[in-house]
Amino acid sequence: MFEYLLEFADVVYCYPASRQAALHRLTLNVPTGKKCGLIGQNGCGKTTLFLLANGLYQPQDGKIRWQGQPMRYDRPYLSQLRQQIGLVFQNPEHQLVASTVEEDISYGLYNLGLSEREIGQRVQQAIADFDLEELAHYPIHHLSLGQKKRVSIADVMVLQPQLLLLDEPTAYLDPRHTRELRGQLQQIQATGTTILLASHDLDFIYQWADWVFVMDCGHLILEGTPQDVFSQGEILEQLHLGRPLAMDLMEQFKAIVDQNNGINNLNWEDLQEQVFQSRRLF
Amino acid sequence: MSSLIDSLAYTNRLRWLPPSHKLLLAMVLLLLSLVSPPLVQILISLWLIVWIVVYAGIPAKIYLGLLLLPIGFWFTSVPAFVINFANLKAIASVQSDVWQNWGLNLGRHYLYISQSGLHQIAWLLSRILATTSSMYFLLLTTPFTEVVQILRQLGFPSLLSELLLLMYRFIFTLLAIASELWLAQNSRCGYRTWRRGLYSLGILIGQLLQRSLESYRQVSLSLASRGFNGELKFWRSSPYQPSRRYIFESIFGCVILIILCLNTY
Repeated sequence: MFEYLLEFADVVYCYPASRQAALHRLTLNVPTGKKCGLIGQNGCGKTTLFLLANGLYQPQDGKIRWQGQPMRYDRPYLSQLRQQIGLVFQNPEHQLVASTVEEDISYGLYNLGLSEREIGQRVQQAIADFDLEELAHYPIHHLSLGQKKRVSIADVMVLQPQLLLLDEPTAYLDPRHTRELRGQLQQIQATGTTILLASHDLDFIYQWADWVFVMDCGHLILEGTPQDVFSQGEILEQLHLGRPLAMDLMEQFKAIVDQNNGINNLNWEDLQEQVFQSRRLF
Repeated sequence: MSSLIDSLAYTNRLRWLPPSHKLLLAMVLLLLSLVSPPLVQILISLWLIVWIVVYAGIPAKIYLGLLLLPIGFWFTSVPAFVINFANLKAIASVQSDVWQNWGLNLGRHYLYISQSGLHQIAWLLSRILATTSSMYFLLLTTPFTEVVQILRQLGFPSLLSELLLLMYRFIFTLLAIASELWLAQNSRCGYRTWRRGLYSLGILIGQLLQRSLESYRQVSLSLASRGFNGELKFWRSSPYQPSRRYIFESIFGCVILIILCLNTY
């Protein structure tokens, strides 16, 4: 076992027509077996990080290590790497290539060169795991965005990767589907898959992750447990990231309790009234 | 329209019959309607109405609308078949062809309605209806991908079938982007006047190209990340269930049609 599954050391990546580097000496280590959340403003380099991790881009400087070994860029290595690291793109529309759900799930398996029988079994297992039975024979363009998202995660999980990268998976989902996604991620992690998930949804990260990275301008600014990271109010404020609802509420309770010289001088109705009021006045 | 046909193909009641059976029936009926006399062609059209509207459950209104399409084309060719000119000197030679003495003297020419022309367009109509109905049967009951799958099994080159499938997948993406842009422009009154409308249409087409290129870039990245190695191969289960009742009806019907066809000649 490796302590860190994926390691970025001083990685620099600059897009061809851009003057500013998307990743600027980024050093980031993904701990094995954890549920990692990645937060940061738009354009802080999250997507670039994922594309580099999947071997789709090559860093201009620095080292990327996968399972302790430096990443190589020859064909056989890359095809093995992409089976071990699954990447779910932000827009499922770009990821689904076949015409029906079932065919799309089978696509990656064919690329691995498995036998027809095993492909059939794995596809059917994935369809059952992700609750896609009713949609299996439907064309992709008949699905809603939430359903497409589910299919795109199934596409990647059917390859049984060791590290799952998700780029803003909640972006197109309503609260119900977000909750279902959390359940699916829980199951995926329980089978021993490490997950790295980028999101703007701080509540989601706070509830789900057990390790959090904060990125800004291609750097890693902070990392730690959700408790540690989200208690660094000032830094998060500077980056305009906001705070999870739970943290925000706690702060308000504390202020109100302080104002009233201790919790004993408050009754429930007053507390409720004051909290509601302070949440409305921005 | 295309996405309506597509939706019906995925939701009709004959969806789970083996696509090869449906393809075979459509092909046999298509061949028959090409070689058979009008009576048999009319029978084929009527029988297919039963298949499409009653068995497959396609709304009659939609099917009628689809049939109006070839009928419209037929209608535009009616005058060319029916109205004939003849030189006044040669009028004796066409006298037998003039329908009910409907004719007009125009200077040195004689304009009349041709009897043989009427026969021809009547035959044409029955033939058009029979052939398009057989094609509509396939189109409305069998999803396009399943037809391509059969072609592949019959030895159709995989390069072409992959292209067909990719085109099929992305034509809907393109349509969706176009309709999104069009809605956005309309909600901002982009088509209020003719000039503005043309301008907006120009933007729409330009944007469509840009977004397709962007989409292409993203799709090639995601294909690479899913391990693309130059070949698009998919696995599909076979959930189809042949129905004895439908097999019996189609064989029985086809045999009767063939006998009728042979008897008339």
